[in-house]
Amino acid sequence: MFKGIVLTIIAVWFTLIVNAQTASTGMEEETNIYEKIFDAPLHLSGEQQMTFTALYQQKPILVALIFTRCSGICSPFLLELKDNLQQTDDKSFNILVISFDPRDNLEDMNNMAQKFGLENDPQWIFAVTDSIEQLNQSIGFYPIWDNETGQFDHDALLVGVNIEGYITKKLIGIRKKHDLDLLISSVNNVFSPTYRLPNKNSLFSCFNYDPKTGKNTPGLGLLFIALPAVLTVLMLVSISYFVRNKSQRMDRPYSE
Amino acid sequence: MESIKLRKITSVWILAVFVLFIVSIVLGILMRLNQGEIIKQNSVTFYTNMTTHGLTMIGIWFVAGMAAINYLMERYVKTSYTANMIALVLTVIGVLMFWATTFIGKFHAGWTFLYPLPFKVMWATWATPLFLVSLTVLGLGWLIWSISLMTQILRKYSISQAFAWQHFKKNPSVETPPFILISMITLVGVIACLLAAVVLIVLFFAEFFSNGSFVNDALLMKNLTYFFGHTIANEMLYLGLAVIYELFSEVSGTPKWKTTWYVAVAWNCTLIFILTAFFHHLYMDFVQPEGFQIIGQLASYLASLPAAGVTVFSVLIAVYRTKIKWSLTNLLFFIGVAGWVIGGLGAVIDATISNNVVLHNTLWVPAHFHTYNAMGNVLFSIAFFYWFSTQFTENNIKSEKLTMATLTILLIGGIGFLLAFYVGGADSVPRRYSTYPAEFTSAAPLAVIGAIFATIYLIAILIFFFNISKRCLKVLSSPS
Ligand code: HEM
Repeated sequence: MFKGIVLTIIAVWFTLIVNAQTASTGMEEETNIYEKIFDAPLHLSGEQQMTFTALYQQKPILVALIFTRCSGICSPFLLELKDNLQQTDDKSFNILVISFDPRDNLEDMNNMAQKFGLENDPQWIFAVTDSIEQLNQSIGFYPIWDNETGQFDHDALLVGVNIEGYITKKLIGIRKKHDLDLLISSVNNVFSPTYRLPNKNSLFSCFNYDPKTGKNTPGLGLLFIALPAVLTVLMLVSISYFVRNKSQRMDRPYSE
Repeated sequence: MESIKLRKITSVWILAVFVLFIVSIVLGILMRLNQGEIIKQNSVTFYTNMTTHGLTMIGIWFVAGMAAINYLMERYVKTSYTANMIALVLTVIGVLMFWATTFIGKFHAGWTFLYPLPFKVMWATWATPLFLVSLTVLGLGWLIWSISLMTQILRKYSISQAFAWQHFKKNPSVETPPFILISMITLVGVIACLLAAVVLIVLFFAEFFSNGSFVNDALLMKNLTYFFGHTIANEMLYLGLAVIYELFSEVSGTPKWKTTWYVAVAWNCTLIFILTAFFHHLYMDFVQPEGFQIIGQLASYLASLPAAGVTVFSVLIAVYRTKIKWSLTNLLFFIGVAGWVIGGLGAVIDATISNNVVLHNTLWVPAHFHTYNAMGNVLFSIAFFYWFSTQFTENNIKSEKLTMATLTILLIGGIGFLLAFYVGGADSVPRRYSTYPAEFTSAAPLAVIGAIFATIYLIAILIFFFNISKRCLKVLSSPS
């Protein structure tokens, strides 16, 4: 009987453990890093056909994933990217703007290029592909179609790919020039630090970043580093107090 | 005097440590052979072996030190057999669980299981939680054991006596034996780092069960990981030193070592420095505050100086122009101290920030820690094992020649094995590569050389094993 209860508890506990989610947030930019991007066939403006491999072998590429009917983040995302890149004169890479919406065709992409005044910039390439599923999967990009809005729910994602086709860094969201510089360094195989995105679920951070001031302040996590030493001292003092008190009590002559 | 039960349980510890040591050496040799392209293991097998080898080695040499000081502490205070037994049972269960996660579940996040690696499941899904449970079981057993030993010391000595603070003044009224001082300092460090492991495991489990509603801070997790990992790897050496302070003079037939003011000061400083030296593992973490990096470098220098300085001085004084009864025990102690100092120098070179930029994560790292382990701490413990085994059975290593031959094999094997690591490290060969890229032309040949010498080292260990275990088995079969 007792054995049965213990075994059941162990079994239930292990099932819970195994089924517990290991999903952690704040790591979205770290997925698929150093994996090869899918070698999708690309249809480029001017009726050109090319594979992904042929493209990245020329120069490293920054891949921007958008769709032309987007009423949300895609336009501001491209605009910010364009603005940031205009501030550098770096031609060591190309930018591939690719649609993840199967409804988009080359004409849509050409229109978009024109809208941003990029149609004649050789560094910017606008393209569509028939293998968007595989491409998305190799990048770890999962847009979700929303029937109600007729829009994709998706991240603004910029992916760095070096000339060997490896994903070196990803940036999610509209980011400042500093982050873009890190991405450009990474596609040129220059070390660029990587860190988890600030996350409200991270309760015990060593530092708390304030986006308004751009400053870090010490966080609760730093206390945790000291905790083991503090607990040890407390334990030492209390054990000593307890055992010495007890032995004094035992040494005391019987007075009644 | 110690009880028969204590003798028996110490024998079991010795046998278990030896068996696990031999298996782990074989895993180490397989790794070197794979890196040398003599055998072909897939990378999962390599990293599984690396994880098993690393954590098993750390675990067994920690418990070997603990078993030794538990045994010798009985000379001064009564120790708890129950705590010793609980530690043994939980160690066996913990090791079996851990080996199941690696050999069956293919868990291979390295012995440091650095966050968030255990959550990047590239093995059986049950392996990550079981790995964390196995650490909990091991940590619990060792924590109970350490707290129990510390409590027994505190029953007889006040805090200030246990830390030998009265020796800071002239003519202290009470003498704290060096063995008690070093054991106390080490146990406090061990308890602190095991508590760091507790905090770490709790945070791992919290994230694991939170369905993403709680995530950990990578910087905090790395600090805690090395608070635990670096500190336990160092403290286990100090357990060995406590044994040396107790036994070296005894087996050499020289006057017993005493606690002097400088011994007391040195070991008290060591306690503080050793608990902060782990910051040197985070030099490459750009978010770590600069102050911690500086503390890391200073503490790394200062942690090694007092203990090493005083111990080396004591050993040299003990042997210089003194008639010594040399035996396998004190020879192993002597060679071990040399290995410890050489490895320590290698560590200090690496812990210097300007050098670390070049040596970080190269084979220099396994070079230095294998020096003070394989040719340092392991020898301290084997010396104790040998001494222990000869206490109750006749000394049947009859031939002095066999002793010298075994020591020579050990030295040749050990030095060759370590040199292959050092040369690789100086040549910037990275550590933890299952196979080396063609650019590292020296890496594979050095790995083959390392494997050959490691096999020679293994032969010496096997000779010790047969000799000592035979006598431990006799202790076990003797009537209670
Ligand atoms: C002759 C005996 C030994 C051999 C052949 C051996 C071999 C190896 C090898 C090949 C590695 C991987 C090196 C790399 O990073 O490329 C390694 C790592 C390691 N060894 Fe040993 N070793 C031996 C003894 C020891 C001892 C006595 C200890 C005691 C503590 C030890 C602890 C470790 C640890 C902690 C690691 C790191 C594992 C990791 O990176 O996760 N080894 N050893």
